[in-house]
Parts: sequence; C-alpha cells; structure tokens
Amino acid sequence: MVCNSGTSLVPTINGKTHHFYHVGIHDALFVMQDAETRTLWNHITGEAVYGPLAGRSIGPMSNLLHMTVQQALGMDPATRVAISDQTYFAGGRRFGTASRGARVGGGGSGENAAMTDRFAATLGKEDRRRPRMDIGLGIWTGTTSRYYPIERIRARGEAFIDRIDGKTILIYVEAVSNTPAALFVDARSATRDGRVVRLDDGSRVESGVLTDRTGRRRPVERPQQMFTRWYGFSLTFPGCEVFGGAR
Amino acid sequence: MLNGDPLGRWRRAVGLNVILVTVGFVSIPTLVAQVTSSKQVISGPLQIPKGPARAGFDVTRLNTENFGAFEPFYVTETRLLGHAFKEGKVAADTRLLVTETATGKLALLTDQMAYHHLAQGRDGGKDWMATF
Repeated sequence: MVCNSGTSLVPTINGKTHHFYHVGIHDALFVMQDAETRTLWNHITGEAVYGPLAGRSIGPMSNLLHMTVQQALGMDPATRVAISDQTYFAGGRRFGTASRGARVGGGGSGENAAMTDRFAATLGKEDRRRPRMDIGLGIWTGTTSRYYPIERIRARGEAFIDRIDGKTILIYVEAVSNTPAALFVDARSATRDGRVVRLDDGSRVESGVLTDRTGRRRPVERPQQMFTRWYGFSLTFPGCEVFGGAR
Repeated sequence: MLNGDPLGRWRRAVGLNVILVTVGFVSIPTLVAQVTSSKQVISGPLQIPKGPARAGFDVTRLNTENFGAFEPFYVTETRLLGHAFKEGKVAADTRLLVTETATGKLALLTDQMAYHHLAQGRDGGKDWMATF
C-alpha cells in the first residue's frame, strides 16, 4: 500500500449505517465514497470532503494498529479476526479463492518505494521538509499534529520519551512488527533492551503490553497515531510539526 | 348494501389488512435489497456529485480510473484469532491491522486490506470501520 496509512472510524450517519468503498485517488491517498449519498470522504480523518455531506465527519476516530498475530494474541487472546475470500499467504501456504486487483500506486513497499506517475498527478502542493516516501509515525490530537521520521526514532535508540499537548509519550519501534508506535506513559526516560523497552519508573513495554515494576499488566492508552508516509501525513495535516526539524 | 353491513365492513377491513401486509412483505425485501452488498456498491456506474467541496479538496485532481477495482470488505462473520492460528489459517508472523469494536479487538489481514482498502461491519449493535 503506497500511503501505508489507516485509521478506524464509525460509518454511522444520523443513526443509519452508510456503506463505504474506494472511489479514487486524491493527493495520492485513496478517497472513499458512501453509497447512500455519494459523498467523498477522507479515509484518514473521516471528514467529508466533497458532496452533499461536505464538512461532516464520521467518528469518533480511533487507532488502527499494525502488529503480527503473535503480538495480537499476546496483547489480547480474545481478539477476533475477519478474513475475506481475497487470496493471502500465511505460513508458506496460500489461502482464499479470489485474486483480483493488482497492487497499484507504487513499486515496493519499504522506505525506498516509489510512487507511480498516475498517483503523483493527483498530488497538490507538496511539503518538501521530508522526502515524499519517507516512512514514520504520525501522531495527532485536537491541537497538534507531529511526524516522527523512522530514521530519527532509530537514531534515538528506537525508544525515547517525548511530550505532546503536555502529556508524556513513549515513541518506540515495536521489535516484532518493526513498526513505530506510541503510548502514554509516566516515565522520564526509555531504553531499548532487545525486544523490551524499559522505562525509568520500572515499567516495561513488550509487544505492545505495558507492565509495571511488579510485573502487573497495566492498561495501555495511546494517542491517535498512524504508521505512514510523509506525503500522506503532511497533506492530511498541513503544517504539521516534524520531530527533529526539517531535513 | 355493504355500507350498512357489519360483516361487510369486517371483510373489507380484513381485506385491506391483507393487502397492506402483502405490500409490506413485498416492500421490505426490496428495501433490504437496496442496502448494498460489497459487489453492488462497486458494480454500478460511477457517480460523483457536483459539490460542494470542503476547503483544500480539488475535485479536478481526483483520479477515478480504478473505481470498481477494489471491493470493500463488508464483514458478516468473525472468529477467534487464536482458533485461526491453531488451524493454520494465519501464522505467528502474519501481519494484522487491529481495530476496536464494541465487543473487543478485531484483526484484519494487512495483505487483504491492501486490496479492500476498507472493511466495515456491525458488532455489539454498533458500526465499525477500518480504512487502509
């Protein structure tokens, strides 16, 4: 997926379920439409951007977190899964009966992925503070939007403490999934120790699970966040902060 | 004369009710059929309204060439992730996108969502949606 960006929304409008689907690309991000009103929506913020419901929002918004099966089961064994008929591979085996729709948008999925001309043609005025396809963690609140480039998270030892809107957050790279993530903590410093992130208050984070100094699991609270590419985050949140400054 | 006939009035009332019930039975399935399958929403003609636009959205930059190519995932059934893992339907390192629904965490396969782009469903009486 080119933009690699996802979020959770609530498709209820005036008490009624609306049915959404991919309709096109704008700013190299997929745009969704609802069948009931044909309104076009931003799939990251849930805002209606064009059509009869322009200005409305579907929410509340919440996180869509990247992780592996191992992590998910470690965090919550009661997690359920929905599997469609679309072909996929797991454990070296192929599952699913439907194989439709080629991947579109770019070559590759890592940090060196490129964007096709067709996608690039939909871009508006780009923010050049970071490379277009740069990967990082985007965090946003009601008042602040901030982008953490993955290279700067790694340069800080893959785990560090920052503050946003007066609250303390841990920014780290999850070892198992190798994806950046954030959660609210009370600590003042963090260090990476193998697959574990150790906080100076004695608590630790491993596979998304926070435990206190006694080893007891603690509830995890996270800021709204997204594992994303720079172009997607900066076009969605114009003028966002960049951790560590521009390139 | 029927107007003065109580039995006739009763018969007319029953007949009217039968008609109303029949109309209802015909209408309800039709209404339900209008509420969309995932194939249905992408199989009709593309319809883009004529505005209005929220500030910052330029409809002239909207590319709809791939409309119809990505079927959304309308979720009607789920299962425990642990069971799917034990049955080998997913592996320990299978990548997931995890959202919260009214009854708990729900995982979607990242590879599948790269095609569907969005999944939605209803859980615990409340709608949920994940976009990717």
